[in-house]
Amino acid sequence: MQNQEALMEDGEMESAMSIPTLECDDWAKFGDDDIMQQQSAIQAEEAKKVLFVGDKEPLSTLAAEYQSGSSIMIEKIKVLDEHYAAIRRTRGDGNCFFRSFMFSYLEYILQSQDQEEVERIRANIEKCRKTLQSLGYAEFTFEDFFTLFLEQLECVIQGKETSISHDELVLRSRDQSISDYIVMFFRFVTSGEIRRRSEFFEPFILGLTSTTVEQFCKSSVEPMGEESDHVHITALSDALGVSVRVLYLDRSSCESGGVSVNHHDFIPVAGELPNASVLSPTNKPFITLLYRPGHYDIMYPK
Amino acid sequence: MSQRGEWGFSFPVRLKMIDFARVQKELQECSKDVEESGIKVSPKSDNLALLIGSIPGPIGTPYEGGTFQIDITLPDGYPFEPPKMQFATKVWHPNVSSQSGAICLDILKDQWSPALTLKTALVSVQALLSAPQPDDPQDAVVAKQYLQDHHTFVGTARYWTETFAKASSLGVEEKVQKLVEMGFPEDQVKSTLEAVGGDENLALEKLCSG
Repeated sequence: MQNQEALMEDGEMESAMSIPTLECDDWAKFGDDDIMQQQSAIQAEEAKKVLFVGDKEPLSTLAAEYQSGSSIMIEKIKVLDEHYAAIRRTRGDGNCFFRSFMFSYLEYILQSQDQEEVERIRANIEKCRKTLQSLGYAEFTFEDFFTLFLEQLECVIQGKETSISHDELVLRSRDQSISDYIVMFFRFVTSGEIRRRSEFFEPFILGLTSTTVEQFCKSSVEPMGEESDHVHITALSDALGVSVRVLYLDRSSCESGGVSVNHHDFIPVAGELPNASVLSPTNKPFITLLYRPGHYDIMYPK
Repeated sequence: MSQRGEWGFSFPVRLKMIDFARVQKELQECSKDVEESGIKVSPKSDNLALLIGSIPGPIGTPYEGGTFQIDITLPDGYPFEPPKMQFATKVWHPNVSSQSGAICLDILKDQWSPALTLKTALVSVQALLSAPQPDDPQDAVVAKQYLQDHHTFVGTARYWTETFAKASSLGVEEKVQKLVEMGFPEDQVKSTLEAVGGDENLALEKLCSG
């Protein structure tokens, strides 16, 4: 049920959705299978409209969405327009944060050929693997997901037999058999980090869901399609040592009159990077995401 | 899709196909500690998409002493899609259909994750036997009995365990035989025995008064 609601919420971003209604007169007979069936129908519907990872679009397409809507949003998009050149949309299937992170990260490596960063993340991925082992995860449950991500990381490095182009990266990000495996890789990493530092995360999780850390990981991190919150972003950013900037675009207005767009930088904690939680040239985020309630897209600074 | 070879992946990544290599590993893993857990999974035939699981009834519950068989069907897309599980052994439980054996359990539905395995799913099914969730029932009749007439529920669940989940369910057959010989119709004997939780004397009393 949760998933379904999440999807609906995501769907609100788009134009009104036409969800195929089930022909079911007797609600007593409306069982879980029907719900699952309807859920996959919603997913299929969504799939037709938005690719897992879309094309780069000018910011004017974002403005066009709110043309006849809230004036605050239009003002805020104007502010964004000063600093950001483009947006790349992701599908609102509950995996949008992880999918945005995946594409942004691999695209950055492909374009920057930042070898130092590749070595750094590889070392962190090995730590994540050990974390999962020590937490008692059976190796076969996560190894394929790790392998697939490391292979993609290898592929975006140029000048090798396995090297891929930017176009190919886009295609792979849209291919479910790769894209979903990488999303699941990130879910494993996130869950492992939250469990490893459960004392740190516990108060945040209590604030969100009033469940235990264990239950949160089982029900809100590890299943596909479960939406991400600041807890997920913090954990993934810390585990991989990758900074993330999130811009918040909502209808809230500031008291001081002028319109501005809030952002938050998720900077990995100490131990992973030298200057913990302080923005420095070494951990300046190269991943920028646009958050609108219930959904994340990728942003490109000017 | 033959792209895999082209892209040089080291294992199958097709989603719309069962990851059989993983299923093999799961079966191996599960057989390792079968002594300890009592949980078994084995293929029904050569086809690894159809499996049969087996769990011991939890101690201290009306299911104690029984061994419950569970039919497992792996959908295309396993482990991204949850395995389909239903009881092959008849069981009297609020979250299991007494008719079909269908199980109401979140991890077999939207809370499934590839981080789970057939074994962990079976452990959850076993835990469900210990801790029924009558507020989210699969079988409304059983759930109602569980909430309103708990004593009878326990009796019936125990009777079903004796009758269907034990290798030697001879005791019950004998009781039926005995009562039938007294001149009561077999159907009525069976249903009466079920209703009173297998107590021969209570059944006789009820049959006589009815």
